[in-house]
Amino acid sequence: MKQVIGIADMKISTKADDVLITYALGSCLGITVYDPVARVGGLIHIMLPVSTVNPAKAAANPLMFVDTGVPELFKACYKAGAKKERMVLKVAGGASLQKNEDTDQFQIGKRNFIMLRKLLWKNNVLIKSFDVGENFSRTMSLDMATGEVVLKINNKETIL
Amino acid sequence: MSLNVLIVDDSAAMRSIIQKTLQISGLEIGNVYQAKNGEEALEMLEENWVDLALVDINMPVMDGETLINRIRENPDLSELPIVVVSTESSEARIIQLRAKDVEFIHKPFAPEILREAVFQITGVEHGTSTLSSGNFDF
Repeated sequence: MKQVIGIADMKISTKADDVLITYALGSCLGITVYDPVARVGGLIHIMLPVSTVNPAKAAANPLMFVDTGVPELFKACYKAGAKKERMVLKVAGGASLQKNEDTDQFQIGKRNFIMLRKLLWKNNVLIKSFDVGENFSRTMSLDMATGEVVLKINNKETIL
Repeated sequence: MSLNVLIVDDSAAMRSIIQKTLQISGLEIGNVYQAKNGEEALEMLEENWVDLALVDINMPVMDGETLINRIRENPDLSELPIVVVSTESSEARIIQLRAKDVEFIHKPFAPEILREAVFQITGVEHGTSTLSSGNFDF
């Protein structure tokens, strides 16, 4: 069953017939985790790098920010039976909404990915594969039967 | 929860003293990063998760005040707790620095003074820590 993840949202699944999917990743990050042994997976669609810019919003919805959302994703997967050392993490998005990245004043996409890298390093997690940056939108899906992550960019599908 | 700390000072000896003081202070210290000027510090902040910075003022390449300004201007770093550890003695300059939301201690310092300043800015001693590093662990 297709499970759609909105913006500042995540879903965890243990069902082999689920496909987790999120659309229109611009500067936002899509992050999938998958434990191939427990067959637990999750997908989060994150908007901004740090919760300190708006602690009230972070308290209301931690999934909005990298620093608060990613721990939620991992902890939810642990609850469903995943083990950290087996979890495969993939990342997509972090684009610049401007044609020229240098004129993108806020560089949200780039900052999102930098913050994610720092957070993962702090927590001893490596990224298996990623497709970030540039200036186009991405759709990301996780097939719970196989753990395969598919990116759709300009109607063309690739496996991440 | 353990704190990742960045020590910025052009003297390697001083960096070692600060590091040792932190390690025996009762704080749970995680990774300790060292930089010998502001520019190196900014590179390390870009690459690494840091919960607390101890910053000298007079350094070559980029001084501590410029570094603090750059940190405060950066939305991803602006809330970083900073303790300035400096020989600076001008009261006016110290007031100017404190206005940037930092703790200030004079060199040379007794280890207990550094510990107090760190406890003060992190709130760790009273269990009121605003450092939420532990919340970011998974």
